[in-house]
Amino acid sequence: MMDIKPIIEKLFEEGKKQGMSDMEVFYGGGSSLSLKVFEKELDGYSLSESEGLSFRGVYNGKMGYSYTEKVDETSIDFLIKGAIENAKVIDSDDEECIFEGSKEYKEVNNFNPKLEQVKEEEKIKFVRDLEEECLKIDKRIAKVETCVYGDGYGETIISNSKGLFLQEKNNIAYTYVVVLAKENDDIKTGFAYRTGNDFTKFSYQEIAQEAVKDALSQLGASSIKSGDYTIVLRNNASADLLEAFSGIFSAENVQKDLSLLKGKIGEKIGSDNFTIIDDPFMEEGLASKSFDGEGVACKYKKVVDKGVLTTYLHNLKTAKKDNVQTTGNASKSSYKSPIDITPSNFYIEKGSRSLDEIISSIDKGLLISDLQGLHSGLNTVSGDFSLAAGGYEIEEGKIKRPIEQITVAGNYFDLLKNIEEVGSDLKFGLPGEAYIGSPSIKIKYLSIAGE
Amino acid sequence: MLNKQLIEDTLTAALSTGGDFAEVFVEDRTNNGIVMIGGKVESTMSGRDYGVGIRIFKGFNSVYAYTNKSDRDTLISTANKAAAAVEGNNGSIIINLSKSDVKNIHEIKIDPNTIEKTRKVEIMKRAYNAAFNYDDLITQVTVNLADHVQNIMIANSEGLWKEDKRVRSRLAIQSIASKNGEMQSGFYGPGAMKGYEFFENLDVEKYAKETARIAMTMVNAKYSPSGKMPVIIDNGFGGVIFHEASGHGLEATSVAKGLSVYCDKIGQKVASPLVTAIDDGTIPSEWGSINIDDEGTSSQRNVLIENGVLKGYMIDKLNARRMNMDITGSSRRQSYKYPPTSRMTNTYIDNGKSTTYEIIANTEKGLYAKYMGGGSVNPSTGEFNFAVMEGYIVENGKIKEPVRGATLIGKGIDVLNKIDMVGNNLSFGQGMCGSVSGSIPTNVGQPMIRVSEITVGGRESEV
Repeated sequence: MMDIKPIIEKLFEEGKKQGMSDMEVFYGGGSSLSLKVFEKELDGYSLSESEGLSFRGVYNGKMGYSYTEKVDETSIDFLIKGAIENAKVIDSDDEECIFEGSKEYKEVNNFNPKLEQVKEEEKIKFVRDLEEECLKIDKRIAKVETCVYGDGYGETIISNSKGLFLQEKNNIAYTYVVVLAKENDDIKTGFAYRTGNDFTKFSYQEIAQEAVKDALSQLGASSIKSGDYTIVLRNNASADLLEAFSGIFSAENVQKDLSLLKGKIGEKIGSDNFTIIDDPFMEEGLASKSFDGEGVACKYKKVVDKGVLTTYLHNLKTAKKDNVQTTGNASKSSYKSPIDITPSNFYIEKGSRSLDEIISSIDKGLLISDLQGLHSGLNTVSGDFSLAAGGYEIEEGKIKRPIEQITVAGNYFDLLKNIEEVGSDLKFGLPGEAYIGSPSIKIKYLSIAGE
Repeated sequence: MLNKQLIEDTLTAALSTGGDFAEVFVEDRTNNGIVMIGGKVESTMSGRDYGVGIRIFKGFNSVYAYTNKSDRDTLISTANKAAAAVEGNNGSIIINLSKSDVKNIHEIKIDPNTIEKTRKVEIMKRAYNAAFNYDDLITQVTVNLADHVQNIMIANSEGLWKEDKRVRSRLAIQSIASKNGEMQSGFYGPGAMKGYEFFENLDVEKYAKETARIAMTMVNAKYSPSGKMPVIIDNGFGGVIFHEASGHGLEATSVAKGLSVYCDKIGQKVASPLVTAIDDGTIPSEWGSINIDDEGTSSQRNVLIENGVLKGYMIDKLNARRMNMDITGSSRRQSYKYPPTSRMTNTYIDNGKSTTYEIIANTEKGLYAKYMGGGSVNPSTGEFNFAVMEGYIVENGKIKEPVRGATLIGKGIDVLNKIDMVGNNLSFGQGMCGSVSGSIPTNVGQPMIRVSEITVGGRESEV
């Protein structure tokens, strides 16, 4: 990694000359490797080294942004000119500011030096073994559609003209596999993944078992009669849905009249067994961090406590407007984006009974294990959703048969109030900007469309 | 963008361990984005993407490496690192680049980087005012304006060396209508492969009012019925049904590895005889158009399905090897951070013979989907889903009350076979398509069509 301090100093010096007051640089850099195996061949191999620098600064009281991936002195003019021009057209009354720093930052360890020492041959062997294992488990596995291992190293720096200088580094490895099960004309796909920065915890046998089981358990699926059913949303499906609706907790959306949680602080928005935690310091949390996108120290909070909404997620701008403290949820998904708001490790607190125990208490219902169309089949503003789904029919406390070609519809705000039970099987989804998890949850009813 | 000697040396280094094909892709791109909420500019961003991607093939295997730096040392060392992943002996390929001109078929009149941001903001304010003042029920309007200028250079070990410039502009408007504590939204996102002239010539007010009308209609609508029923899907963005139900399954990405339901079906009937479907990147100035693809091949018009019979796939260089078929100028990528692969450009179902009046009048009971939202598909199983943004009940050949929250699901080949009427009012809609090589601009399109039976997911059980 190059020393970017000299460029930052030049940038601030030049910005000042051109009339900017407070300024800040957000730098992201790193390297990555990804390996893909198909039919025993290493058919995809990618590596990268990349970086980008984001600049923002106050000009006549307004914040202007710019960024570049050409991180050298030739970009200084472009960055300053761009930021000033952008600041000139801002006419929002909300005040964005550059932060001087928190008193204390809790240390978070996102970097595992052992991952850097794993040899490439070991990684290649792992991904080959994973494919082979999937094909070995059951004859009905016709192909391994995708079989990937990847890892990456990243470094983030926030440096501003108020003297703040923060630096964080992290590494992560991931692997996922999609298998294709075939029986007669019926084709089903199964999926499994692992993420984390401890390579020794990746077991190709476990991942293969999980993906194969997922695919096989769906063979022979058919639709089901339309109607209202008692629903168990399996942990992964509930986490996906929570992720899709996580924006409703953003103070930005609330203030812009884009969230129905407006005016609901202190009010009951979910059932008693529903608690949501945003924990930036969670062990093995893939969104763990000590400071947020504005350099503010992160903090642990219950966003929903036993059904009662206790806080929105804030950055400095929205907190100032609501006259509260920021919750340290300012995000910058990359150097290309302006400041936004996102949760960190964000999850529904687990209950006491296992998924099997919950199922055994249901006489007639559906276990939903898969939701599709999450970027289109829901309305984050109204809370309405109507999503393609797959799962299993539950009868007399047992899984009876696989179900496909159905949609599940409802309203997320209603759903939260209709949670009857929360399972003990907390699971996190694939990490994005946030790392979002849920246990399986039992819901009084949702409408199913099928036959 | 890079000098000839440096490109040749980089390609030579890439092939030093026995690769049989190497390619260098350089991208220098400026992006501008402005977000307006409630009539006020909330945030603006301008930035420059810059990087180099190096790709090597050996047989069916491929290696890809990218970096933001383009100095000699970095490029040669990146090429060497990539080459280290190829097992073999020193190749004997001699690189001899010869630069060829790219014929520009998409005229750009005004470089968006030469226009003051304040003028772009004016366009956005027009959209905001038109939508917000449409009705008292409209409580919020969000407007996004984005443009980019992408300069690319592609060179490969076969001697190809080309440069091109792609300029795109898009305005996205979302209106929210509120009533009794409920909110519904309407969206329109017109875009084109054009410069600033696109915004100047756009009927901004028309699109803005349309988003407000959709939001208002939906906030007054009851929930959609569910179950299997005939569905009429209108033109334009309605073409997302073909994009999801079939288009992705016709990309070599899934065909070459035997993963698509359309494998080995060339010459066979895969759709109703009323369906002719085309992918055409050469349509002048359309959102999904290109001059050359991201491997340097000229874009072309590819007939995918003709009168219900499968005619072809969309094929890139690597998958062409696996499939032993010709490339189709369909290889695309979001940026230098992705190796390119076969993707769609402007994909549409061609005009049929029915009028929209005939289609509606001949439908006794069903759903009319005036505007579609987005969708997704699993190409291995063909299972797709997509959302209806604005829907209506059809009864006795007439469009009746509006309904909200409908989702359509099904399996690709099944639904294409059930298209029983095709209209004659072909038009396009603009979208971003996300897949293995990133998020790219694509057009979907179709005339009004009718599907005899499709599963509609809603919240009311009876039609």
